[in-house]
Amino acid sequence: MDFGALLLTLVTFAPLLGAAALLLVKPEQKNALRWVALITALVTFGISLGLLAIFNPADAIRIDLPWLSVAGWNVHYHLALDGLSILLVLLTTLLTPLAILSTWTSVEDRVRQFMAFFLMLETGMLGVFLAQDLFLFYIFWEFTLVPMYFLIGIWGGERRIYAAVKFFLYTMAGSVLMLVALLWLGTQYNTFSLPELIAQRANIPPQAQTWLFLAFALAFAIKVPMWPLHTWLPDAHVEAPTAGSVILAGVLLKMGTYGFLRFNLTLFPQASWEFSPWMALLAIIGILYGALVSYAQTDAKKLVAYSSVSHLGFVMLGLFALNQQGIQGALLQMINHGLSTGALFLMVGMLYERRHTRALDAFGGLWKVIPVFGTLLLIVSLSSVGLPGLNGFIGEFTILLGAAGSDALGNAWNQIVTALGVSFIPMRSAGGLWFAGFAALGVIFAAAYLLQMYQKICLGALKAENQNLKDLSWREIITLLPLLVLIFWIGLYPKPFIDLIAPAINQMLGY
Amino acid sequence: MFVPFDSTMLLAILPEILLVVLAGVVLALDAAWQPEKRRWLGWLTVVGLAVAFILTATVSQPESEPRLLFGGMLRDDWLSFAFRLVFLFGAAITTLFAMDHEALGRKGEFYVLLLVSTLGMNLMASAGDLIMLYLAIETTSIPLYILAGFITTDDKSTEAGFKYLLFGAMTSAVMLYGFSLLYGFSGETNLYLLAGKLGELPMPALLGSLLLVLVGFSFKVSAVPFHFWAPDVYEGAPTPVAGFLSTASKAAGFAVLMRVLLAAFPAALPSWQGLIALLAVVTMTVGNLLALAQTNVKRLLAFSSIAHAGYILIGVVAVNAAGMNLGMASVVFYLIAYLLTNLAAFGAVATFGRVSGSDEMDAYKGLSRRSPALALVMLVAFLSLSGMPPFGGFIAKVFVFAAAVEANWIWLAVIGVLNSIIGLYYYLTLLKYVYLYRQDNLEEEQKPLPISRPYALALVLLVIGIILLGTAFNPWFEWSRTAAASLF
Amino acid sequence: MIPLSWYLIFAAALFSIGLFGVLARKNAVAILLGVELMLNAVNVNLVAFWRYRAPNMIAGQAFAIMIFAVAAAEVAVGLSLFISIYRRRKTVVANEIDLMKW
Repeated sequence: MDFGALLLTLVTFAPLLGAAALLLVKPEQKNALRWVALITALVTFGISLGLLAIFNPADAIRIDLPWLSVAGWNVHYHLALDGLSILLVLLTTLLTPLAILSTWTSVEDRVRQFMAFFLMLETGMLGVFLAQDLFLFYIFWEFTLVPMYFLIGIWGGERRIYAAVKFFLYTMAGSVLMLVALLWLGTQYNTFSLPELIAQRANIPPQAQTWLFLAFALAFAIKVPMWPLHTWLPDAHVEAPTAGSVILAGVLLKMGTYGFLRFNLTLFPQASWEFSPWMALLAIIGILYGALVSYAQTDAKKLVAYSSVSHLGFVMLGLFALNQQGIQGALLQMINHGLSTGALFLMVGMLYERRHTRALDAFGGLWKVIPVFGTLLLIVSLSSVGLPGLNGFIGEFTILLGAAGSDALGNAWNQIVTALGVSFIPMRSAGGLWFAGFAALGVIFAAAYLLQMYQKICLGALKAENQNLKDLSWREIITLLPLLVLIFWIGLYPKPFIDLIAPAINQMLGY
Repeated sequence: MFVPFDSTMLLAILPEILLVVLAGVVLALDAAWQPEKRRWLGWLTVVGLAVAFILTATVSQPESEPRLLFGGMLRDDWLSFAFRLVFLFGAAITTLFAMDHEALGRKGEFYVLLLVSTLGMNLMASAGDLIMLYLAIETTSIPLYILAGFITTDDKSTEAGFKYLLFGAMTSAVMLYGFSLLYGFSGETNLYLLAGKLGELPMPALLGSLLLVLVGFSFKVSAVPFHFWAPDVYEGAPTPVAGFLSTASKAAGFAVLMRVLLAAFPAALPSWQGLIALLAVVTMTVGNLLALAQTNVKRLLAFSSIAHAGYILIGVVAVNAAGMNLGMASVVFYLIAYLLTNLAAFGAVATFGRVSGSDEMDAYKGLSRRSPALALVMLVAFLSLSGMPPFGGFIAKVFVFAAAVEANWIWLAVIGVLNSIIGLYYYLTLLKYVYLYRQDNLEEEQKPLPISRPYALALVLLVIGIILLGTAFNPWFEWSRTAAASLF
Repeated sequence: MIPLSWYLIFAAALFSIGLFGVLARKNAVAILLGVELMLNAVNVNLVAFWRYRAPNMIAGQAFAIMIFAVAAAEVAVGLSLFISIYRRRKTVVANEIDLMKW
């Protein structure tokens, strides 16, 4: 086993080891527990940086050991880090310590269990991003559910139990059909290994491809969540503790979009091509719907939650543009959304810790009392809006370019136009442009609802009960700082990030 | 196939001999010892079962070719070997759970009955002849009737024994009628000779007798529509006995079901596949839906055990005549995983019930604060029951569904997975009580919840087993496959 | 000679009567009686089949004898369970044994 393979295993299971180590600490020693968890998360982050250092964009770091092999069944312990997964792995290992840091003062009850569940969750998420064996992937996929269920259910808000159960059942209901689909693949082709299945994908009969695509898509679409399967998300977000929301929005949702990218697009290219206009359509509905609903929210956390529906619509649109630009943009946007929305949730959480409310009209004029908070919130909001120079712009713009130039979408548009018998020439020529155009409306809406939020919180008249708010502490600033650095870095100089992911995407698309 | 008698054959029935000896020793010591010493009877039984387990595993392994011993009465193969180990293990764990039970622990006859019932299960798993099969089933059932109604001072327990007996007697009479027809049609009582003669029979006659026989087996595995006894008996019977009923007794039922279907009815394979598929669908759906409405944990577990019988039946459906696929192996694996998991669940319920005196869900509120360790056991057991990784229940379910998919019963697998979501819902409901809800009176959560040594030992063993089955499943599955292959 | 079918019809009738008794009667002792009828129907079947189909093999007869023995054991256990119930509730009518819903 070479060094990279060792690191892969380590990065996946280090959090789990940390969770086990927590059992050695007494439940009363809350600070010790926090430190153990934080150090574990930081070590994990360090290992992932080590992986980045030895990572070669053209080639994957891989570990592949047989796990079960009977009766034509071949389940492998097969992890790989490639261009599609590296940024998401880094995002996970980065957000986890930050989220733990954010709980320093807000989680006082059952700290040991909280930290243990949190670290278990990290292992699950990393496993999802790294697994190259469908069976292993499914195990990790399910493994993330239980810790999240408890994080929401024990430490959440008032309707936490309802939200936790809803979250669990929704996701589970989506993924069981995927289980049947992957069992079919596994028994039919005697392997669960993704590369081997991709090599055989031409043998999958077209009709089976359609069904398999749908079974996988349902699981991932619920996780993303795509409109109209998104209703679990606002509940889960609003009730989850801040750290849970950060991870939920930052990483767990990406498991859905990543699943589309990793499995649907690669295993069933034909079906993906056929379904691409429909997926794009749902994505656009999601973008506009999420944006409009966000605008109507009076609860800051709910607003950010719905904005996720909108932003992930962009990601889905990019993926199903099925071209290099679209997918590149989508992958980048996944990271951007993780950074921006993660930061937004953190900041809403900080407000909540101070005032114990998230209602927008409880605030106003905060700029005057807590200027550091105000400045940072402005930057983060603008990054989420997609202001040029910040990270959101890069992702969304690339996605829109991809969609506009998409063959799959354009082709579908032409067919519709032909079927309708419309002969107006410009309509015929650039079908993808229409998709991009509607999506671009979402960017404008985003500016509206995020700036409205900012205005209601930070501008206007200052209320008496907000007079004595304390500005951000050093711990809080440190929590936000890495995210801000990356927001600017990706916004101003995205090349290193694109260089990491581009070769893998090109390889996937067969350039 | 038939082997003339020689003394080495006794080695093949070593576990049964040991069980009889152990039962005799316990009975004698029960009479000889003073009441205060009788707690040691439990430990004696456990140690005896452990010794029998080890001896069986090492000494009385079957030969590579299946043999019919004692004039065809017993079949010595890997399937019976595997199941006998499972039963011995189940009995040992049940003994551990019973030892500190007020009404059971100091009664020698309890252990004797348990041992005799285990003996019956062992014979069920290896019976090769209708006569032997009937005897074995009754040897299992009759002690279990008494065990279910063991606490004569408890109205619920006697009621459980009463209902169990009436149901059991009736279904076994129906099954026996089926046996008599099989005998009549073929003139043979040996399962393996039956098949050849039954092949010439018209399909209706064959299916008719099969249906009658299935009634008895459905009762044993608590499949719908012969499941009515299960909730009442589980609720009323002493909790350790309920655990034993839902695991070992069910496993024995499946061992017989598999053997009879494959040995005696290979000719009707497509027909009974359809029949069992129907049975599976109805069983899991009814079990799961009724479980949703339960407020008593033991009743909930009863309906869940009905539902699990349905999942296992999926694996029974998914065989092909060559026997090279996953079907039967997945059944064996499922039964092992289910035995560990459900014993853990019932063990946790027994531990809790012993201290709190209640099996109602409401009493479980705030358990995770009152006793984190017991809550953790319940978490593992119920997540495994619901089929979440990385526990044994997950792998078991996956194998069963995979077997169905592989044998092209995809719709059956889909119904199975949809059902498992319903299952998940009610298992989560219980976990909600354990982890998320708080007692109305917070002082209740401060009361200690002692876990005595035998309980702790058994629960730890089971949890380790569940996790092993869920992660290092290769050897177990290999074992299940060897066992299943010997059916064909 | 009396044809085999007569025996079978007789046994089937006996079995049905027994089954009816089990399903229709409420008194536990009567239910157990019904079960006994069913078992006896099986015995008639077995012995008749033995005589007509395989008179050289002892199996059918042996089976019938086994059933006698087991049925006796079953009844012994059954009656003792009934007694233990009767002691506490003064009834063995199945409908009234309803602490738990059926």
